[in-house]
Amino acid sequence: MIPSNHPAGWFNRLRKALTISGTLIVGIVLLCQQAFAQNYRVNGRVTDHAGQALPAAVVQLKSTGQSTITDSAGYFSLTAPEAGSYQLLVSSIGFKTEKKSVKISSEPLTITIVLHPQNHELEEVMVQDRYAAQRKQTESLNVEVVNADFIQRNLGGSLMATMSRLPGVKTIGIGSGQSKPLIRGLGFNRVVVVDKGVKHEGQQWGADHGLELDQFAANEVELVKGAASFIYGSDAIAGVIDVKPVPPPTPNSLGGTVDMIGKTNNNLFGTSVNLYGRKQKWFFDSRFTYQNYGDYTVPTDRVYVYDYAVKLRDNQLRNTAGRETGLHFNTGYVGEKFRSIFYVSNVYTRSGFFANAHGLEPRWVDTLLHDRSSRDIQLPSQEVNHFKLINRSQYQAGKHLLQAEVGYQHNFRQEFSQYVNHGYMPAVYPDSMRVSADLEREFDKRVYSLNLRDQVQFGDHELTFGINGEHQDNNIGGWGFLVPKFDQTTAGAFVYDKFRLNDEVLLHGALRYDHSQLSTSSYTDWFETEGEKLTRANALTRSFNSLVWSAGVNYTPEGHFSLKANIGKSFRMPIAKELAANGVNYHYFSYERGNPALDAEQSYQADITLGWDTEKFSVQLSPFYNYFPNYIYLNPTAEHDYYYGAGNQVFVYAQSRVARYGGELQMRYLFTQELSSEILAEYLYSRQLSGDKKGYTLPFSPPPSVLLNLTYEPHHIDRLKHTYFSVDYSITGAQNNIVPPELKTPGYQVWNIQAGTKLRFNKRPLTVSLQVQNVFNTRYLNHTSFYRLIQLPEAGRNIILSVKIPFGTGSNI
Amino acid sequence: MRNFIKHTTCLLTVIALAAGCSKNNDEQVDTEYPVIDLSASNAFPQQCGVVKRGESFTFRAKLSDNIQLGSVSVDIHNNFDHHSHSTEVEECQMEAVKTPVNPYLLIRSFPIAGGSKEVEINQTIAVPADVDPGDYHFLIRLTDKEGWQTLKGISIKIQ
Repeated sequence: MIPSNHPAGWFNRLRKALTISGTLIVGIVLLCQQAFAQNYRVNGRVTDHAGQALPAAVVQLKSTGQSTITDSAGYFSLTAPEAGSYQLLVSSIGFKTEKKSVKISSEPLTITIVLHPQNHELEEVMVQDRYAAQRKQTESLNVEVVNADFIQRNLGGSLMATMSRLPGVKTIGIGSGQSKPLIRGLGFNRVVVVDKGVKHEGQQWGADHGLELDQFAANEVELVKGAASFIYGSDAIAGVIDVKPVPPPTPNSLGGTVDMIGKTNNNLFGTSVNLYGRKQKWFFDSRFTYQNYGDYTVPTDRVYVYDYAVKLRDNQLRNTAGRETGLHFNTGYVGEKFRSIFYVSNVYTRSGFFANAHGLEPRWVDTLLHDRSSRDIQLPSQEVNHFKLINRSQYQAGKHLLQAEVGYQHNFRQEFSQYVNHGYMPAVYPDSMRVSADLEREFDKRVYSLNLRDQVQFGDHELTFGINGEHQDNNIGGWGFLVPKFDQTTAGAFVYDKFRLNDEVLLHGALRYDHSQLSTSSYTDWFETEGEKLTRANALTRSFNSLVWSAGVNYTPEGHFSLKANIGKSFRMPIAKELAANGVNYHYFSYERGNPALDAEQSYQADITLGWDTEKFSVQLSPFYNYFPNYIYLNPTAEHDYYYGAGNQVFVYAQSRVARYGGELQMRYLFTQELSSEILAEYLYSRQLSGDKKGYTLPFSPPPSVLLNLTYEPHHIDRLKHTYFSVDYSITGAQNNIVPPELKTPGYQVWNIQAGTKLRFNKRPLTVSLQVQNVFNTRYLNHTSFYRLIQLPEAGRNIILSVKIPFGTGSNI
Repeated sequence: MRNFIKHTTCLLTVIALAAGCSKNNDEQVDTEYPVIDLSASNAFPQQCGVVKRGESFTFRAKLSDNIQLGSVSVDIHNNFDHHSHSTEVEECQMEAVKTPVNPYLLIRSFPIAGGSKEVEINQTIAVPADVDPGDYHFLIRLTDKEGWQTLKGISIKIQ
């Protein structure tokens, strides 16, 4: 599947860039090493009863405020303020918490701690919470961690829709099954999605399709809000969504789970079957997911495309049905010091677009054909296939933890639509064309990625340095044109130091350098415009260099208060479309003109997170301020172009200064052990400070919103121990702060209900979850929906039932 | 060191607060779309209107904006395959689907004098005698200075 003929030169460029950056890092490391002093340390390793390393176990040195997480090989290192006797507290999911007394002196102490498994699930939840809390305390950026339970409880149409319950996360969605993340109002190429350690590369720039991820295969998702380029490179301006795979199953296990899911709104049925096994060191883990859904239902029997009334049959949005399959196979070796895991996956989606309007273009529809079935997929439609092969390996060599990820991805997307002679295209599709008359667009992307990291402990410093390289080959097809064919190579190197100043203060500092190069190919129309075949894109090569940095602090004194702050610079290299495109998006009546002179976009962001945490009450406030000296923006102008633009409005890529600020508020109050309440709120303001749209906001700015939740969990009734009943009431404000070509969106209020329980089945927990979304079938418009511009309301009431049935021995969680 | 942390914290807080309190007095931006008005009795073409081959007709409409108009563009293309419908309330009687031989195509943009808030557009368009008769779309795109665009898609017949 991997083609052998790489374009000449890119490998050499990558190698050269990596060598330079490698040398830079070694220099910095050597310099830093001089500065570290000796201290009172305890080093150790956490294993299970079989001697297998336990990664991500939380190790706390009691009464010092010191704590850490074991690395992938189970190792940890902690520093005590002075010599003496201490208690170590070690906890990990699925294991009993272990206490151990240690004597720490100036001689470094090395110990091994063995944890014993347990099946008490309430404890698991607490440990999981502790892990999430620990992650938050050791990152100066704003981090949220959600686990498989959260996904199961709040299951949306896609993983990103599920994540959007978190404050600060919204989605740009189309239909009922596809969406892309918006973090604090920024999305597309300004958010990095990491899957199994490798940056997920699809067609991030497009709003009319989702991310190629299977939410049943996600175990834990970490959300980073803020300037994260220093680790993840280009694009991590708004933040990162890191989707983590399920960890290897426990030794001597063979088992699996069957998930079944049904939804009433779009008559979805789906299943996900998981099968895993492990002897001692070798394991496998496989999954098959299938989902099939019909047209989704809205709380109205007619919608308006401009002034034209479109009647809906049974309130269904014509042709929004879809299918999804996910195939996953993971296998590998898990040794004491060395582990290496291969992940192979293929995610395929086929779905329809609302038939009565393609983009903003009203379409005549053969209602007899379309309304014959609510499950069929007619034109216009799309198919996306994403194949991934990833290897993650690591080796523990003394104080060094060496990690590597190597990945290959193939993203293939096709958009089908009847041939329509837009603009100057011939009235009849020529027979001589090799492209099918129904294939409007095709994007074919192959991505090769490499990450290398070394994490090392020097005294109170935890130093990580690494390099990332990526090469992309992008091809295009179809009779439409949006983006030219291009290839792109990026290479970066970073060094990141976490310095434990004392019990209460953790300091962070990071530096990163990137070099990237992008070459677009020229594209000429296949048809004539007034006697001439127009060149839509020129061959262009641009390279970009970026130096970014980040600095942060965690202040966690004894008591209830905590504070963290981070300030950093991030960047994004312009994409091929922004630099080179000169084409018409006929469905949007827009003629988009690229700008070959664009600079790499830069962003400066300051983040603060203030917390107050007691047993009954906790609050977290996270304001941020963000400034772009050169935000890349597709500016709709006042002009029309009759020649290149076929009479359409001219949109030009431009750069302007942009300021953004806002924040999130999270509050939680326990009325009793069983009754709790949560408030999640977010606010965002953006403004262009220069350029043609000075004074305007940025497109897709989410309006302010607040979510009020009440949850009842009857712990005291033994048989209902893992039962929950929870109500979400979300209030979203109006968005009147708009920029062409947006529309003002009124506010709305929606109620959701979640309930679920765990039953004993073959001595294992069978999970049942029920959700009612949009309980009162409220008709509302979502400002960040792809269908907002043609006034399509969001989905009506939806009842979702899902069941997870485990079987076999052992556990893969 | 404590002091350093304190100062850093204070500084960051001040930055955040300053950002939050910075002048929020938006100079009002224009969020109004321009208007294509075909309600006048002499406005042309109207939905389901008819124009004749080999003759000229006058595109006449009132265009207005609250601040300043940008540009107007007209696109006449065949709808023999019924690919799309108009933006208008009223539906027109369509002829049978047919394959175009020599369909009429006109794409033109007309400048609007700078600074205008309102204009009566009055453009003569000649329809050649040899084009295919049948169902056509008359698409009007109007922008204002800020880049707001209003569309009007009208179904017409060429006889």
